[in-house]
Amino acid sequence: MGAESERELSGGSGPLAKLPVHVGRRTVLGILGLAGIGIVAGAKIDSALGSLSSAVSSKIGVPLPGADEFRYYTVTGSYPVIPADTYELTVDGMVREPLRLRLSDLRSMKRTHLVHRFQCVTGWYVPNVPWEGVRLSELLERAGVAPKATALRFFSADGVYTESLTLSQARLADILVADKMLDADLTADHGGPVRLYVAPMYGYKSIKWLDRIEVTNEVVPGYWENGGYPVDAWIGGTEQ
Amino acid sequence: MINTSGRSATARSPTLKANSPGGELARFDLVERLVHWSTAIIMLTLIVTGAILYLPALALRIGHRGLIEDIHVITGLCLLGPLVLGLVGPWRKRLIADLRRFDRWGASDFDWFRGRARRSGLARDKFNGGQKIEAAFLGAAMAAALVTGVIMRFAPSSWITWATGATLVHDTLFFAITVAVLAHVAFALSRPDQLVSMFNGRISRSWARVHAGAWLSEVETLEADASEAEAFKTGMDGSPSSSP
Repeated sequence: MGAESERELSGGSGPLAKLPVHVGRRTVLGILGLAGIGIVAGAKIDSALGSLSSAVSSKIGVPLPGADEFRYYTVTGSYPVIPADTYELTVDGMVREPLRLRLSDLRSMKRTHLVHRFQCVTGWYVPNVPWEGVRLSELLERAGVAPKATALRFFSADGVYTESLTLSQARLADILVADKMLDADLTADHGGPVRLYVAPMYGYKSIKWLDRIEVTNEVVPGYWENGGYPVDAWIGGTEQ
Repeated sequence: MINTSGRSATARSPTLKANSPGGELARFDLVERLVHWSTAIIMLTLIVTGAILYLPALALRIGHRGLIEDIHVITGLCLLGPLVLGLVGPWRKRLIADLRRFDRWGASDFDWFRGRARRSGLARDKFNGGQKIEAAFLGAAMAAALVTGVIMRFAPSSWITWATGATLVHDTLFFAITVAVLAHVAFALSRPDQLVSMFNGRISRSWARVHAGAWLSEVETLEADASEAEAFKTGMDGSPSSSP
């Protein structure tokens, strides 16, 4: 290669040639190093940041990094806003007695309250969320599941989102048909009047705007599961 | 020495071929402009779809999370594509030369940060300190956003601790990249000479004299050497237009 072109390619012959401080490379390596630390230690940093970041976030309405704030997911162009007094939950399929339950019916059944984190599979979470509702197992008990049934399908009032559980998963004690969250009636943006809350699994199992539960004999993968997410969505990969 | 290197300098240096004697200098070649604009389109798509996925007001108003997420993920996987394509072939020379300039800092680059009034007036490189730090920052931030995004979307669900860390980094990068890109666009819009040079590749000598004196001297030295070599070669074999 010629002397001239070599000189051009090496970044010049001016003051730079005499002062080759690799600031660019150091900047790049520094940022990549910080990102690496963030990936490996981020869960700890996240929980340390939690309360401070949340305090600011709730003021400005934007979830800052590390804040214990919900992200709002809807897979349709809007989301259903269902008045509490017209809401109805259907439980049908392989049952002895199909149910149609209004919100007042759910509130007159045995109530369960639990405080547990909401964990999204993409990484964000909100710790210590108060949930309240009726255990899914109570509803199944009341409807009377046919002996050959093995699974449940859940349908959202948005008309698109679906979810699934096996019957044995559905009978776990920490799965609620929830109508209260954060010590208040479930709001429409969180999936109100009624959503599922599956404590031991990733958030995508906790279907919002729940309006129908069908008892079946096969697990039909839900909305995100068709996109490759695990059907058995245990937090951490295996049942705790 | 001159009879071999003189020829290759003229042939291999796109700067020299593209410069016009009195007026304009070649600042960016076609490869650099293609890399810049395709990366810009990808970044714009990522920032818009990222905002829809991240900001609650937009997430609820626009919804369609499955579709928006697919666009964001597919576009994101392409983020470094233009740069990589620009670097894998023989067309990469100018791009590499400019990346080296981003890396190497001299006194005039540090001087740039002192603010217009307090600068000591050192002749500057082709890019100033601000442009160099912006390039280094965005390059690294893009790579980090790509890696954390892949972890968030494709890591096995048992890697949840890393996914939480990746989310923290990715969310931080959303703000940092948005600010850096807005600053970049604001600087570009207030400096039309440089903005136009990202379209047509050229910039005036008078601009370079004021803003990139060290680069202009370099280019003029190369031009002088090349014309000397040309004259020598013409004297030797009488075929000034021959090229390899």
